Amino acid sequence: MKKRGIGVGVSFYGTGYGNGFPDISRAIVRLLPGGRVGIYCGVTEVGQGAKTAMIQIGAETLGLTEKDIDLIHEDTSLMPDSGTAAATRQTYNTGNAIKVACENMRKELFEKAKIELELNSTAGLVLENGEVVLSFFPQKRISFKRLSEIYKDEIIEAGGEFVAQTTTMDPETGQGAPYWPYTFNACAVEVEVDTNTGIVDLLRAVFAQDAGRAVNPHLLEGQMDGGFAMALGYALFEDLKLENGAMKNNKFSKYLIPTAMDMIDVEKIIIEDPENTAPYGAKGIGEPVMIPIAPAILNAIYNAIGIRITELPVTPENLMKAIREAEANKQN
Amino acid sequence: MVDISITVNDKLYKISINENMRLIDVLRDELGLIGTKEGCGEGECGACTVIMDGEIVNSCLVMGFQADGSSIVTIEGLEREGDLHPVQRAYIEAGAVQCGFCIPGMVLSTKALLDKNPNPSDEEIREGISGNLCRCTGYNKMLEATKKAMEYIKGE
Ligand code: FES
Ligand code: FES
Repeated sequence: MKKRGIGVGVSFYGTGYGNGFPDISRAIVRLLPGGRVGIYCGVTEVGQGAKTAMIQIGAETLGLTEKDIDLIHEDTSLMPDSGTAAATRQTYNTGNAIKVACENMRKELFEKAKIELELNSTAGLVLENGEVVLSFFPQKRISFKRLSEIYKDEIIEAGGEFVAQTTTMDPETGQGAPYWPYTFNACAVEVEVDTNTGIVDLLRAVFAQDAGRAVNPHLLEGQMDGGFAMALGYALFEDLKLENGAMKNNKFSKYLIPTAMDMIDVEKIIIEDPENTAPYGAKGIGEPVMIPIAPAILNAIYNAIGIRITELPVTPENLMKAIREAEANKQN
Repeated sequence: MVDISITVNDKLYKISINENMRLIDVLRDELGLIGTKEGCGEGECGACTVIMDGEIVNSCLVMGFQADGSSIVTIEGLEREGDLHPVQRAYIEAGAVQCGFCIPGMVLSTKALLDKNPNPSDEEIREGISGNLCRCTGYNKMLEATKKAMEYIKGE
């Protein structure tokens, strides 16, 4: 018999290393020949879109477009450390370091513009499309390109650092502020369970993710789809068979991950509730996007057939076993 | 050693290869076309997908000598005079690329699908790329990209 059910999963996730562990990101910003801006930063791109997001944050702070910025990253001889691409920490931590570095750079550019434009102070100066401009008398202006020519031997640069704020938990009481900030999400799915075969089909999914501020909604949606697919595999297919520390089923024919045919359309909702310690309010979402999906699927299975599954993955085999056990219990 | 002649991306190659070389080794090691990726090496992941005489194949499962006389398209062969193929452009615009490892194969499977069926349904698109595993994207942006590519190809 085929039975349908609906389930919801919600999660909150503390980003960063946490528990008082030093969590530091650094960046250096330099004016390059031709007036381009280089951001030197140890941020690592693994496909999550860090490179795009970091350039966007830098561009926003310096009044430029992404095309005016070169991100020089992933070569540790050229840049300061920004910690690992882990713990959902790059957008918040490294994004903050880049924002601070760019704000410091803005001050440097203002100082140099003050000299070149023969001004009394930096008050009223703004950055506009690659120029430093005196906002209330815009005839006074100088381009980044011109500044880079004047200061070619004494390169204009600035650094920035962000140190995350968390406290260790009290070992006695478990109290403390081990993480900051937290990211929230919720997922609802509808499933159809075939009680004769144990196959669980996903019919519908809605997934809402709080990002503080979506630096790049396109990339965020990609992460949500990706997290959903990975969690779908985790909930229904992926069974790591370990024996003496070695994986027995180390082939894609034996260890199944979702294909395009297993995945469904996911209605994605982005929640923007800016976090005030974050760069433009943006928090990381990398790991959290996977968390509420399996609980939603398990709750939907429960809603469909009244059986609580407590072990993953819910393969057809495991589900049939659970159904038979439930029936046997009922008869006793 | 065995002599073969294959056309790769419209260019004819006459080469002498080791009998036990697979097509993927010929492409990557002999011809230097490293856009084609090796994932599993046993026909399960689709990272090594190339188009052989109009059909997608896993180049890790085809022996080099079996490709004798055939015409192959790899990811390097999609660009025309510096312009990206509509499928490539659509993948970028839709944000369908994350780590990128599956993408050469995925793009070729999408192209081969649209060559045969210019108006696939969502189900047909999912089926068309179901031999290509992707761990990052959840495939949905690839559906979006394929639909964009359909429009671009129609507009050409
Ligand atoms: S490398 Fe050929 S299918 Fe995986
Ligand atoms: S983009 Fe990473 S595997 Fe597909």
